Amino acid sequence: MTVRLPEPLKRLTTDADEPLGQGVYRSALRDERLAAILGASLGILFSICFLTGLYSHIQQNPLSWLPIPPRPAGLYRITQGIHVAAGIASVPVLIAKLWIVWPRFVSFPVAKRISGLVERVGLFPLVAGGIFMTFSGVANIAQWYPWQFSFTASHYWMAWVTMGSIVAHGGAKWATTRRALRRPSRRPALPEADPVLETTAEGDGPGLTRRGLLATVAGTSGILTLTTIGQTVSPLRRLGLLAPRDPTVGPQGRPVNRGAANAGVVELAQSADYRLEVTGRVARPMSLTLDQLRALPSHDAVLPIACVEGWSFSAPWSGVRIRDLLAMAGAEADRTILIESLEPRGAYRTSTLNPDQAADRDTLLATSLDGEALVLDHGFPCRLIAPNRPGVLQTKWVNRVVVL
Amino acid sequence: MSGEAPKAGRLFWVSAAVGWGVIAWGVVGIFSNSVDTRPANLARFVVGGALLHDLVVAPLAILVGVAVARTVPGRARAPVQAALAITAVVSLFAYPLVRGYGLAANNPTSLPYNYGRNLAIIVGLVWAVTAIVVIVKVKREA
Repeated sequence: MTVRLPEPLKRLTTDADEPLGQGVYRSALRDERLAAILGASLGILFSICFLTGLYSHIQQNPLSWLPIPPRPAGLYRITQGIHVAAGIASVPVLIAKLWIVWPRFVSFPVAKRISGLVERVGLFPLVAGGIFMTFSGVANIAQWYPWQFSFTASHYWMAWVTMGSIVAHGGAKWATTRRALRRPSRRPALPEADPVLETTAEGDGPGLTRRGLLATVAGTSGILTLTTIGQTVSPLRRLGLLAPRDPTVGPQGRPVNRGAANAGVVELAQSADYRLEVTGRVARPMSLTLDQLRALPSHDAVLPIACVEGWSFSAPWSGVRIRDLLAMAGAEADRTILIESLEPRGAYRTSTLNPDQAADRDTLLATSLDGEALVLDHGFPCRLIAPNRPGVLQTKWVNRVVVL
Repeated sequence: MSGEAPKAGRLFWVSAAVGWGVIAWGVVGIFSNSVDTRPANLARFVVGGALLHDLVVAPLAILVGVAVARTVPGRARAPVQAALAITAVVSLFAYPLVRGYGLAANNPTSLPYNYGRNLAIIVGLVWAVTAIVVIVKVKREA
């Protein structure tokens, strides 16, 4: 490590072993304790996002050895609401944390020992991953796709990269963080509170204090949470100034993720040739017209539509139970069921029900919503609605029920 | 304080090994699902995001901080710093909503509000509260 920097450049670098706010970056706010509080908060928020995200991933990519139970009916609504809310709340925390520790980015020499080098290299996936996860998540809920990759696949795999970096960083910073969190907070001396103060004539107002910065971060997280959470907590709907959805705006007063026109089913769904087929491993294959479908015994259920993007609403649906339909067709119990849509293409053209989900009393092929006939955008002629399930798996415009 | 640098113990190396193992799992996942993850395109956003922050956004924020510390009078400084930070972060979050990118998806139920106006309401409220705080501080000290 004999590389020497020219003096003006050297003034802009920092020493990795010295405290955060050194030299030109001196500020009472670049404080170990503050960095520890924000870092621990981020660790908790990102872990919540990771676990709820993993649950959402397993919902959409079922594991045969870990079948998703149909109950509690509102579970996915809660976990995905928390996933998006925790991600949004972490934005100000991440930005503040990066601001505090940025002088570490210009530490030179890069490392003084092997462990320092390992830690330093690990900061890249940590910072890049944290920024990518929050940016891609925020862009996705606003339905902004400035990229070519698949959001779900990339957000999922990058979550492992980010979480791995958090584990490595957490271990590296464990002792420092514990020490900093146990230390009682101290009031900064005035010159320390604002070095610039010494050079100005102002004798009062030391600028933002550490407590003030924490309050600002918490306040910003609070503002973002309050102005978006109404998309899933409908009593707070009127505060949702920055919510990408309103749970009362849409056809039949309910939002949709994809309308019939986008799905390319407008004509197919309204065709007189429409039939609902129940096929596969059944004793009596069925092919029902819309009138025959509507004549079947109907069941009512109040169930949520919970979108992966964090909005949701709960509503009364009615239609035929999947289990009744399967019994009529003479299907064996304990079969996995494939639900197919009229949609000609798309990743969410089909979904599956595991045996427990298919047997649930509230798993319906709904033909009505809020007591009115289902409109096209909500899945006319009929759609799947089942408990504890992401909205993208509540397949719309259903024309085939296949017993696997 | 250089003597304070903690020696890397067992916890450091165990969590580094586990952490890098998990990172490797993610990287392998990205490359083995390259049809969906488009590694080259993904790398542009992952690396680009970090570089954009570390080389542009963070230095800019530091310069703005210095400018505020030098120009805003003492009593108003803390409230103005807080208000600037809130304005910047909330605006950053609201950017894709205000630009209305999601409207191109041709879904009448996405982005139902006038987000430019709503952002202005939030930012206006933040600065109104800031002004009140500054006035109260000045009066109390007068």
